[in-house]
Amino acid sequence: MNNNKKILSVEDLVIKFRLRGNILTAIRGVNLDIFEGESLAIVGESGSGKSVFTKSFMGLLDKNGWIDSGNIIYKNNNLAKFSTEDQWLKIRGKEIAMVFQDPMTALNPLKTIGKQVKESVELHQGLKGKDAKDQVIRILEDVGISHPEKRYNQYAHEFSGGMRQRVVIAIAIACRPNILICDEPTTALDVTIQAQILKLLKDLKRKYSLTTIYITHDLGVVANVADRIAVMYAGDIIEVGLSEEVFYNPQHPYTWALLSSLPQLGTKGEPLYSIKGTPPNLFNKIKGDAFAPRNPKALEIDFIEKPPYFEITPTHKVKTWLLDPRAPKVEPPKSIKNMGRGKL
Amino acid sequence: MLSYILKRLIQSIFTLIIIITIVFALMRLMPEEGYFGDGYEKLDHFQREAILESMGLRDPLHKQLLDFYKQLLKGDLGKSIIYRPKVDISIILKDKIPYSLQFGLGAMGLSLAVGLPLGILMALNNKGLWDKLGTAYIVIINAVPAAIYYLFLQVYVTGILKIPMLYSEYNPISWILPTVSMSLGGMASYAMWMRRYMVDEMNKDYVKLARAKGLNNNKIMVHHVLRNAFVPMAQYLPSAILFTIAGSIYIESLYSIPGMGGLLVTAIQRQDNTLVQALVLIYSSIGIIGLFLGDIFMAILDPRIKLS
Repeated sequence: MNNNKKILSVEDLVIKFRLRGNILTAIRGVNLDIFEGESLAIVGESGSGKSVFTKSFMGLLDKNGWIDSGNIIYKNNNLAKFSTEDQWLKIRGKEIAMVFQDPMTALNPLKTIGKQVKESVELHQGLKGKDAKDQVIRILEDVGISHPEKRYNQYAHEFSGGMRQRVVIAIAIACRPNILICDEPTTALDVTIQAQILKLLKDLKRKYSLTTIYITHDLGVVANVADRIAVMYAGDIIEVGLSEEVFYNPQHPYTWALLSSLPQLGTKGEPLYSIKGTPPNLFNKIKGDAFAPRNPKALEIDFIEKPPYFEITPTHKVKTWLLDPRAPKVEPPKSIKNMGRGKL
Repeated sequence: MLSYILKRLIQSIFTLIIIITIVFALMRLMPEEGYFGDGYEKLDHFQREAILESMGLRDPLHKQLLDFYKQLLKGDLGKSIIYRPKVDISIILKDKIPYSLQFGLGAMGLSLAVGLPLGILMALNNKGLWDKLGTAYIVIINAVPAAIYYLFLQVYVTGILKIPMLYSEYNPISWILPTVSMSLGGMASYAMWMRRYMVDEMNKDYVKLARAKGLNNNKIMVHHVLRNAFVPMAQYLPSAILFTIAGSIYIESLYSIPGMGGLLVTAIQRQDNTLVQALVLIYSSIGIIGLFLGDIFMAILDPRIKLS
């Protein structure tokens, strides 16, 4: 994070879904500032709401979901108040673009990939005909696709998984966005390809001066790319800070648990830690700290009142009662303390 | 692409040869009365044998089969025996097919022209009023036996509009109702499948990506969803077009249209062996040709097919 200019600011965001007649609260009052040029990672388990959270920046929530309250401020617009498709069309692609999780299904199987990238180029760069095609070929080259002239006329099934993800990234880049959201960009890929794709995303971020938001449950990815980390649990960000702060000085019991369950190279013979229990049912109203029922060291107050943010440094904020001056001293688990510096 | 077509063509020809052989074999198992017409009772055993021999039916089987193929290659389907004695079957068909074709193609055009847009409208309006009305129509058409609404249309609509109840070659107004009646079923099924395939496509990830890159809804529908939804239907269209020559038994008898509908049933009832043989051959060939064309059509629309 080189400067402190906010590019997108989320205030008290609440997102709800209607499911089989019941109402589910997927995002429960999230506050988050995203700064220009940074690379932010949002981590959390499946179902913690990280994907829903970022989809709401682009108006891509499923039809049964809606923003119940709160603001999403982007360039003097409150995206949370957008109601028509036309308003969103000014944001989607042009301002905020997205790379999807599964490149095997994200491309139209019946359209050449050249044409699919060209759609972005024509729409957002105003180029036509041969100019547009040349631009597509340049972008394909940028994302590391060799023989782009030949590849232009090929279909998705003629590409491998990693190559398809490059095409998906090309489509996003071709929109010339300010913010690029990468929704689990490497989850569906081979381990060897993952590193290549992450490197590509890092290079593109520099080249096109993008602000990137990674959504992932893979802490390895986070360590690799993120300047800042936001840990999400049950629809709320419970800890946010610079990468070093969250990795080396985590404060929330959930973050401890998450880091403990990360396999460490070089430590043999110890069983891998796993978090007991399941995330709370979001159909019910959550009282207190959402993680308390799974936290063996939870305090009484954790079950009664939702903790506010406690500020550790100007960049590091955590929602846990453990940081209250009246709280008893609870030490983080050993495995966290022993987490070797420099390994990440 | 060319090798794919060639491969499918060879497969089709092979299937056709098998079917012709099976039809030939089955016909030899039919009672031999069918070769004599009304005169069967009056002939004695030797006369019958003499006639069968003159028709080549006492030759060894492999020779019969070979002759049968030769005849077919010349385009000779044989002569009718009982239905219209001693008349070339190709002439019988030539008289009848144009009627069935005219109504069949008309009805098909109409059901496509109404059914596809209806399906699209239903998909776009998922769970809205149009979707519900369309579903109601589809359910009614499928649940009520066709005979009932065919009859209903014939009796009441002709009465209300004061148009003739029966088909007349020289009065185009009398062509309308049979065409419309015949298209109702097709309309329902085209609408149903189009809606279903559209909804399938609309929920796919690539549509979400298209939306995320900023395409507006119309462009997504026209450039992405519509074509992809149409591909699975494309396979059946050639068969459907070809089979219009078979006509509709019910419509043709209701409006007394001298078409192909019911010809096969009549031929079987009256044991006109050669006519049955010719018709079964024609219908099964149409089936095979239709599938072949459908596969080619689909391969043109879907680039993935060439590989598999």
